[in-house]
Amino acid sequence: MTTALFVQLVVNGLVKGCTFILIVLGMDIILRGTKILNFAHGQFYMLGAYTLFMLCRLWHVNFLLSLALSGVALILVGALSYLSVFGIVQRRFTATTPFTYRFLMSAMASVGLMLILQQGTLIAFGTTERGMPSIFPQIIALGDVRLSLEKLLIILLSMFICFGLYLLMYKTKLGLAMRTVSFDPEIASLQGVNSFGMFIICFALGSALAGVAGGIIAPVFAVTPTMGTHIIFTAFLVLLVGGIGSYKGAVLGGVLVGLALSFGFQFLGGIAELFVFVFVIIILIFKPGGILGEVLD
Amino acid sequence: MVLAAMVLLPLAVKNAYVMHLFIMAYIGILLGMTFSMLFSAGLITLGAGAFYAIGAYGSTLLSTRLGLSFWAALPMSTLITGIVALAIGSIIVRHPGMAFTIITLLFAHVVIQATGQMEFFGGWGGIIGVETPDPLGPIQFATKTSFYYLILFLLLLTALVFHALYTSRIGRVWRSIKLSPPLAESLGINLYRYRLMAFVVASSAAGMVGSFYAHYFQMVTPEAFGGWLSIYIQLYAVLGGLEFYILGPAIGAVIMTFVPEYLRIAKEVEPIITGVFLLLIILFFSGGILGTLRRFWRAKRPVVFRVKSRHKLIAGPNVLRDE
Repeated sequence: MTTALFVQLVVNGLVKGCTFILIVLGMDIILRGTKILNFAHGQFYMLGAYTLFMLCRLWHVNFLLSLALSGVALILVGALSYLSVFGIVQRRFTATTPFTYRFLMSAMASVGLMLILQQGTLIAFGTTERGMPSIFPQIIALGDVRLSLEKLLIILLSMFICFGLYLLMYKTKLGLAMRTVSFDPEIASLQGVNSFGMFIICFALGSALAGVAGGIIAPVFAVTPTMGTHIIFTAFLVLLVGGIGSYKGAVLGGVLVGLALSFGFQFLGGIAELFVFVFVIIILIFKPGGILGEVLD
Repeated sequence: MVLAAMVLLPLAVKNAYVMHLFIMAYIGILLGMTFSMLFSAGLITLGAGAFYAIGAYGSTLLSTRLGLSFWAALPMSTLITGIVALAIGSIIVRHPGMAFTIITLLFAHVVIQATGQMEFFGGWGGIIGVETPDPLGPIQFATKTSFYYLILFLLLLTALVFHALYTSRIGRVWRSIKLSPPLAESLGINLYRYRLMAFVVASSAAGMVGSFYAHYFQMVTPEAFGGWLSIYIQLYAVLGGLEFYILGPAIGAVIMTFVPEYLRIAKEVEPIITGVFLLLIILFFSGGILGTLRRFWRAKRPVVFRVKSRHKLIAGPNVLRDE
């Protein structure tokens, strides 16, 4: 294996990893804040990619502006879906509702949402792959290592978003309120936090992250209606490796799985996913809560 | 009476396609029952389709490569699925909850990918030419009717076994685990062992159905077990009523098989209708069809000793709550 190939594989893996990180961070925020495992998350990611495609390709809006706009669009989608579906489901729960029932009801609701969004997009846009021209087609050459500027920018941008998220969650009052709600909604209410409002914000923020992830990756990969279903399985893998509900775990898991898939597809072909799954199962034998998470029941 | 109708059904229905729909509905019932069994033990699986696929592929390989007849392949593939479930389950049942659900979903995905990628399993094209079951005495397995009786027999057998389990001590232990794992553990119940037992029994049943499926269609392809299958399986249980472990999936599967067929909905729109349907049930009829009926039934009956609390209990045993 030459150095050039190695570096390229690492960069490709990191690009994949960055998408996973953004998606899984969104999942984690939703999971910790509202205790919903959102199966429609992949579809939010797909909607983000389509929003960016429409804005950028059809209406020629600036790339960064349309990325921000697709985030905003997904905030709306997330808040709306929380208000119309999950909020109603969760309001029925009492303190004594068994975990299984809680989890199943909200998960099934998200599965319903997933089916509607998935098939709705399929009908609206057709099955054709929508390609986008590269925003930054320049190639950086360092000796015999050739890297596209775009991929490096994606990695930088994702790191920037992660840092912004860190500031939001740990340095602002809103972040403190969100963390309090994720600890215990009733205690948060006693402290004067509007729990229901925080649920909406958590859900909308998580959805926005999925949307941005979709938007960021749209210039690199083709935009298809099934891209959400494809990525959700890998995103779940990342969630398990890093630990459910752990933000640091999401970052670590994203990088690990991204690199493993990038190298795996190069040397093993399509069977790589199977190996990554077995690898994750082995990790789970020794660390049942994922690498950085604790066991959640 | 329902039983008699089920047995006599082939006499009334002559249309082969309707018979096929009934067979598919019964397969759906069996798969839904495996989901309900795990739900009764407090585990939520999204991977019933995986064990269905393992049973189908196991049976296919046994009969095409080793030339075994259906009657030997069915129990053997059930056993194989049970062993796989034991191996996987002994790892993943350790941490129930969300992690369990996610892993079962991933496992279903990976099984489909693996069968599609490996030439040994026939690749994406699948394996064709699976033998129909050998004649059993005078009964020839050539018509839909004979397959109907076969799946009916399997269905009733499984329902009996499951019912026996639910009414025995094991079933009560499962329900206590579902109600409150810490409480069950404090009563000296080995949570891990009972959860694993539910996982293995339910998965073996799914494997048995898979074996039937392979010999009924005489071919297996990875696509048949992927996609929305695992989601539809839960929909059966949720639609019929989650607290009814045998009747719930039965009603749900029959409705989900026949209603889309007779409404003649375009294949494209069908998932949207299913999604809307699912959301409506969860939002407004969370008990499913049977649960809602039971609520009406109870509301009509005059009950002397019933405390109807208007206040939500903050803490305390769940059994005190109405419903």
